[in-house]
Amino acid sequence: MTAAAPAGPALEALLCSMADDEFVIGSSDSEWTGIAPVLEEDVAMSSLAQDEIGHAAALYGLLAGLTGRDADALAYDRPPDDYRHARLLDHGRGDWAMTIARRYLYETADAVRLDALVGGSWSPLADLVGKLRREERYHRMHVEAWLERLAGAGGESRDRLETALRSLAPDAATVFTPLPDEPELVRAGVLEAPMPALEGRWRETVEPVLRALDLPAPAPGAAPPDGREGHGEAFRWLWGEFTSVRAADPGATW
Amino acid sequence: MTDPLALEPILAPPERSRPAFNEERPHDERFALFEAHVVAGGKVEPTDWMPDEYRNAVLRFVEMHANSELMGVLPEREWLMRAPTLRRKLALTAKVQDEVGHAQLLYRVAEDLGKTREAMYDDLLAGNTKFHNVFHYPTRGWADVGLIAWLVDAAAIVAQQALRDSSYAPYARTMRKICWEESVHIMHGRDVVVTMATGTATQQAAIQDALDRWWGPLMQMHGPRSPRDKDRDIHWRIKAKTSEELRQEFLTIYVPRIREIGLVIPDPELRWDAEAGVWDYAEPDWAELRTVVTNHGPMSQQRLEFRRISREETRWVREAVLGVPDAA
Amino acid sequence: MTPTLEPWEVFRQEREGEPMRHGGSVMAPDAELAAHYAREMFGRRQESVRLWVVRRSDVIDIDDADLLQPPLDRSFKKPGGYVMRDKLAAAREASGQPKPKARSG
Repeated sequence: MTAAAPAGPALEALLCSMADDEFVIGSSDSEWTGIAPVLEEDVAMSSLAQDEIGHAAALYGLLAGLTGRDADALAYDRPPDDYRHARLLDHGRGDWAMTIARRYLYETADAVRLDALVGGSWSPLADLVGKLRREERYHRMHVEAWLERLAGAGGESRDRLETALRSLAPDAATVFTPLPDEPELVRAGVLEAPMPALEGRWRETVEPVLRALDLPAPAPGAAPPDGREGHGEAFRWLWGEFTSVRAADPGATW
Repeated sequence: MTDPLALEPILAPPERSRPAFNEERPHDERFALFEAHVVAGGKVEPTDWMPDEYRNAVLRFVEMHANSELMGVLPEREWLMRAPTLRRKLALTAKVQDEVGHAQLLYRVAEDLGKTREAMYDDLLAGNTKFHNVFHYPTRGWADVGLIAWLVDAAAIVAQQALRDSSYAPYARTMRKICWEESVHIMHGRDVVVTMATGTATQQAAIQDALDRWWGPLMQMHGPRSPRDKDRDIHWRIKAKTSEELRQEFLTIYVPRIREIGLVIPDPELRWDAEAGVWDYAEPDWAELRTVVTNHGPMSQQRLEFRRISREETRWVREAVLGVPDAA
Repeated sequence: MTPTLEPWEVFRQEREGEPMRHGGSVMAPDAELAAHYAREMFGRRQESVRLWVVRRSDVIDIDDADLLQPPLDRSFKKPGGYVMRDKLAAAREASGQPKPKARSG
């Protein structure tokens, strides 16, 4: 039985948004398994995807403890409109540049979010976040190495990266979409500051990096209030895939 | 440089004799000395002198193995997205990742014998080199994914364990790492199969159906019987066991485990002959095997085309950042 | 400058205190990616506690039999070169002392 949780529904919304983020990006990233640019990079991207699914599983696990549903049911058994991942992650796998661009925007945002949770008042989450941060360091090493290389190579490589960043720009900040009853989370000491403040911190870190590489920055203007809703076709396709086996024999044990 | 002390000792401590491969000796003498060294259990490293016959035999063997790991990813990867639980998704992703890792290990061994990775991909896609029969068949459902993770990996590990003492030392070392990693895949596969075999009526039917379709290719996988004394790969100690020895070993271990969970093996002639100490079985369809490995299997062309396309899609990354000089 | 892929050798330590053992090699265009790939190929499932990654071209490979397995007797530098069984038997006979109980050293 999980420790008594502060800010009930707000905490559930937070956990759901984080778990869905990791589940969706992990699913997209795992698509590269077997077809990445070189074998060594294939193995690398697959580890990142597994980490993300593992993080999602841990977060769904916390949510399961609070809601009484099991983690797999939370991950798999909702209609597509009930998923609360950031719209940034609705963009499909795309080419290697798109994957790197999306991962850069997401990983940097997630880092700011995790920093604002690690000292939180609900220890199951604070403890988990401590572990996640250690694993995420490796993710940032990888994505920064690739961002620099793709930008630095010039030519087609830079063009693809710029195109990817531009197409992601309108949704880049959606990780910081304000959560329902968010002030409760801040009041209860679970989240250190509200999402708009975290978004500001994130922009302060990524904008100089992108500017230094002469790359397009995320669009100005705060994350929209519906930034975790209205998932489009790419996500619906993904949802169709990840529910297909389970849906064919509901109630079965796998 | 490999630390020989760190490896499990294969030869007795009395000094490994290294034949003098002096350039002054005529080729025939060097060949004879090399052959004597290998036949006596001696090992060969990438920087050693080796006759072309040996180098080409090892390269052909390793290249087919590498190709098989690379193509073996494809039947399973489409199910990564569809894995029905978080844990199964993690396990399958890790398994497929390992296959890619095995491809890396094996292509590296082949590269160090003098053939570039790009040249090997070119030959694979042109149909000049082959990959194992089992990877030319479709996976129709989650039951297939479980079954092949269990039994295809099991058949592979039987072969791979017999390669851990290969005369070509880099290959032998790779086999040890691969066997260690494969053992986890077999456990994952068996867990999926046992879960389904004891699950809903639909799941049970699906698992039996998968076994019915995969049994034939599994029995063909180790290849037709061939006499030990005519096998050059055995002569050079690249491999140690014949096809039939591997098949018999697979049957001995896995037939009881398949029957244990209530599955019916679709071969009415399959029986253990206690007197002879061998398994009797219906003759595998060797014509099917020949058809399939020459890229006329149900999924051969589709999978090669998929590889061609994904290789093209990422060409720009290699050229810009990784620096692979594309051969084609 | 166009990058080029080259092989990097990877050494790994399985447990604290153990020697570094050669694991295999990765192809990479530079040290940063070589290190990343080394972790993936030889450390992704927590099987190593330390890795060394080095450009293959920086490794000095010595396999010259004249250097490492020279033909003349060197038993004076190896334990097998000191067999004292008969001398000790003779000394015990002369001293009347029993053979000490077996212990290492």
